[in-house]
Amino acid sequence: MTIAKMITLILTGTLGTLAFALLFRMRKRLILWAVLCGFLTTALYVLCAQFWDHAFFQNLIPALFATAFSEVLARMTKAPTTPYIACAIIPLVPGGALYYTMYHFILGEMSLFHEKLIETLRVSSGLAVGILCVSAVMQIVRLKKPKK
Amino acid sequence: MAENKANTHQILSVAMDIGKSMIRCGAEINRVEETVTRICSAYGAESIEVFSIVSMIVATVSRADGSTDTQTRRIYSYSTDFEKLDKLNALSRRICRETPAVAEVQRALDEIERDTRHLLWYVGVGHALVGFSFALFFGGTWKDAASSAVIALVLWLLTSFVKVQGLSKLFFTALSSAALGFLALFAEKLGFADNASMVMIGDIMLLIPGLLLINSVREMLCGDLMSGLLRLLECIILALAIACGFAVPILLFK
Repeated sequence: MTIAKMITLILTGTLGTLAFALLFRMRKRLILWAVLCGFLTTALYVLCAQFWDHAFFQNLIPALFATAFSEVLARMTKAPTTPYIACAIIPLVPGGALYYTMYHFILGEMSLFHEKLIETLRVSSGLAVGILCVSAVMQIVRLKKPKK
Repeated sequence: MAENKANTHQILSVAMDIGKSMIRCGAEINRVEETVTRICSAYGAESIEVFSIVSMIVATVSRADGSTDTQTRRIYSYSTDFEKLDKLNALSRRICRETPAVAEVQRALDEIERDTRHLLWYVGVGHALVGFSFALFFGGTWKDAASSAVIALVLWLLTSFVKVQGLSKLFFTALSSAALGFLALFAEKLGFADNASMVMIGDIMLLIPGLLLINSVREMLCGDLMSGLLRLLECIILALAIACGFAVPILLFK
């Protein structure tokens, strides 16, 4: 991946986060934090893509980070966690892979179809496992904390 | 004391209405159940049994004076509106703190409900930005990004002005996908875009149920298996609907 390509990815990913923050109608004072979270997540994704060639790990690490950072932001700004996670993770959601899966299926290119289908599943399971792990840890932390 | 003036039926009714609104804004199920429980307890309920899935809330409340009441709410569709959800959370916190008269709560809820601004300019900007940035993100050119943004705006205007409320989400998604596909291929034919695939991928992101997947995972973790599974199933079906929708223009014109 060239540097120019990496910068494009990070910038457009961040812009995408902003776009979804607007679409989901987040409150204005929270949008900036969501965009920051999205920026760091996309940057981490680009970094991970350098080290691993496996779609699962490429997406697992940023998903772990996004969820953990969202939990921190949610506590900091006294807002729910889910909007932050949703906005930050959106650039990683396999829209492209899903499109190509369907595209190759229609054109009857079966080996390419299989490849893209597996990629779609790997990416989405990477994201799901990432969110799951951090949410599980947070649940334990919450239970440990004495109830007021 | 406000709580003595209100009867059990009214209290449960307003609590359920708040719960229903929360689901319609995209809240997590355990949050909804917790809110209904808390509101009823604030008004002196002795025991509350709430069960909720994404399309239904059932709750029975009984109070120390022996009165009981059971109500259900059916939820037909839901979308994402975090601003409204925020207002609902603020309202339910206020209820638990001050236990205002039920009529006043109802008035506050009606006010939140009435505040449906479908044509907010920044939702439009959001649509265009989604199309623009994701066409570039997945490797399109500036021209692709520009036409993707325009097509996203067209979709937004169409769905805002043409009343499609009665349409099922599944059919709506498939129809939008097909429309987006046709528009993208037109843009390529007329020379407004270099690669129709990139335009379509940019606009696909508008329809992909990303939040649904996140809510599904988190709900299953909290033990709300029913809701989690329902949402997961909906994700898969919507993905298939998107694929079917885009398949039509590609089959016809490629």
